[in-house]
Amino acid sequence: MTGNARYEAPPEHLIEAVLLSSPSPIALPDLLSATGLAQGEALAALEHLRARFSPASSGIVLREVAGGYALATNPTCAAAVERFRAEARPAPLSGAAHEVLASVLYLGPMTRAAVSAARGVNSDAVVRNLLERNLLEERGRDEGLPGSPALLGVTDDFLAAAGARDPEDFPPLDALVDEAELARVRERISGARPDAAGEA
Amino acid sequence: MSDGSRGAEAGAKPLSAFTVELDVYSGPYEGLLALILRDELEIFEVPLAELVNLYRSSGGSDEGSPGALERDTDFVDSATSLVLLKGRSLVPAGSETGDEDGDEAIGPEELEARLVAYLKVRRAAEAIGERLARNAGYYPSGHAPPPKPGKLRIRPEKISAAARRTFSRTVEPETRHLGPITVTVGELVALLRRSLAGGEPVSFEALTREMDRLRSAVTFAAALSLASEGSIVLVQPEPFGPLTLRPVP
Repeated sequence: MTGNARYEAPPEHLIEAVLLSSPSPIALPDLLSATGLAQGEALAALEHLRARFSPASSGIVLREVAGGYALATNPTCAAAVERFRAEARPAPLSGAAHEVLASVLYLGPMTRAAVSAARGVNSDAVVRNLLERNLLEERGRDEGLPGSPALLGVTDDFLAAAGARDPEDFPPLDALVDEAELARVRERISGARPDAAGEA
Repeated sequence: MSDGSRGAEAGAKPLSAFTVELDVYSGPYEGLLALILRDELEIFEVPLAELVNLYRSSGGSDEGSPGALERDTDFVDSATSLVLLKGRSLVPAGSETGDEDGDEAIGPEELEARLVAYLKVRRAAEAIGERLARNAGYYPSGHAPPPKPGKLRIRPEKISAAARRTFSRTVEPETRHLGPITVTVGELVALLRRSLAGGEPVSFEALTREMDRLRSAVTFAAALSLASEGSIVLVQPEPFGPLTLRPVP
C-alpha cells in the first residue's frame, strides 16, 4: 500500500520514526505500508538517513540487515550503552557453535543428526544453546526420515548479528577454502594410504 | 592402565593424585576415565588436548623425580586410549552400509570427502566468527530485553502445533464391549447368600455358568466381599483351579 495514507511529516522523518520504534529490522514493504510512501520516496529517504546516521557522524547507525532496515547504536558507543542498560554483552560463541551455524547456513535446512554428521561429532548440546539464543530455529520437519525430525535454519537474529541482509550475503562455501589447502589435505591422506607407504 | 601407586613408591606423585578441572568434569583423573568407560560421560565433551596440557602443567611432569617416567607412561597409555576412543566416535553414525563394526576402516576416498567437507565448514565457521565479532555492539533502537538464558521463547504457532498433537486422537478407542453396568455387588451378595443358604458348598463355575462376563466378575467381587467379612470360605486347591464357595457355619 503506497500513497493512500499521506502524513504531514517529511518522508525522512516518517521512516526515521518508524525505524526508531522497532526492535527488529523492518522490511521495505512494511516501511511503505506504515509510512504511506512510494518506494522511490522511501528509498531516497533511506539514502539520506544512511548518510546522516553513518558511523562516522552519529551514535546511531542505519543498518540494512536480515531483510530489512534498522536503527542501531554505533558499536563505538557499545560500552556506554551496555553500562547504561546494566547488561553484559552476550558471551562470544564457541568454535563449535560457529561450526554448527556454518553447517546450517550453508548446508541447511538440516536435521540435528545431519549437523552432527557434518561436524563428525555430536552437536545436540550446541544446537540447543543456539536455539536458546535464537540464532537457530526449527523450520518444518523432514517427513522423509523416520520420526520426521525437525529441520534447523538460521534466524533473522543470526543474520542481524552477522550484519547480513540475507543468507546469500555470505561468500560461497567453496570460495572459503583455497585449492592449495585442499591439495594439502588430499596429499596427507594419500600419503597415509598403505599402498602409498609401500611405494615409499 | 597400570597401578599409579608404583610411582608413589618411587618418590613421584602417583597418577591417582592427578586431578582435572574441565568444563564437563572436575575431580580425579581416574574418575574421569571411569565415567567415560561407563558411558556416563560423553567422550565428545572431553577436550583431550586440554587434558594433556593440564597433566603437563599439574606438576606431575617433574621429569627428574624417580618414578616419573612410569607415571608418565601410564598417563600416555590411558590418554592414547582416550584418543583412540574419541577418534572412533568421530566417525558419524548412519553409514550407508549400516556396518556397526568399529574396526571397519573408512575408505580413503570417503575419508578425503569427509575431511574436505569438514574443512569447508571449518573455514566457514571461522569466517562467521570473524563476522559476528565485527558486527558485535549494535543495539537496536527499540529495546527488547533479551530472553533469559534457558528461557524458551513462546511462539503461538508452535504452541498451536503442540496442542493439536496433544489433543488430537488418531484412532478412537473401541468401546462397544463396554455396556452399561446393570448389576451391583449387593445384588450378587444376596444371590450368593441364597445359594449358600442350604449350608452346602457351591461351585463358583456352576453359579456363574449362565452369567455374562460382567455378572461373573461382580459375582467374584461379591464372593471376595463375603469371604473378607468371614461369611464364606473360598477354596481353590491350585492356581486357576475350580473355585468352591463354602459357607461358614
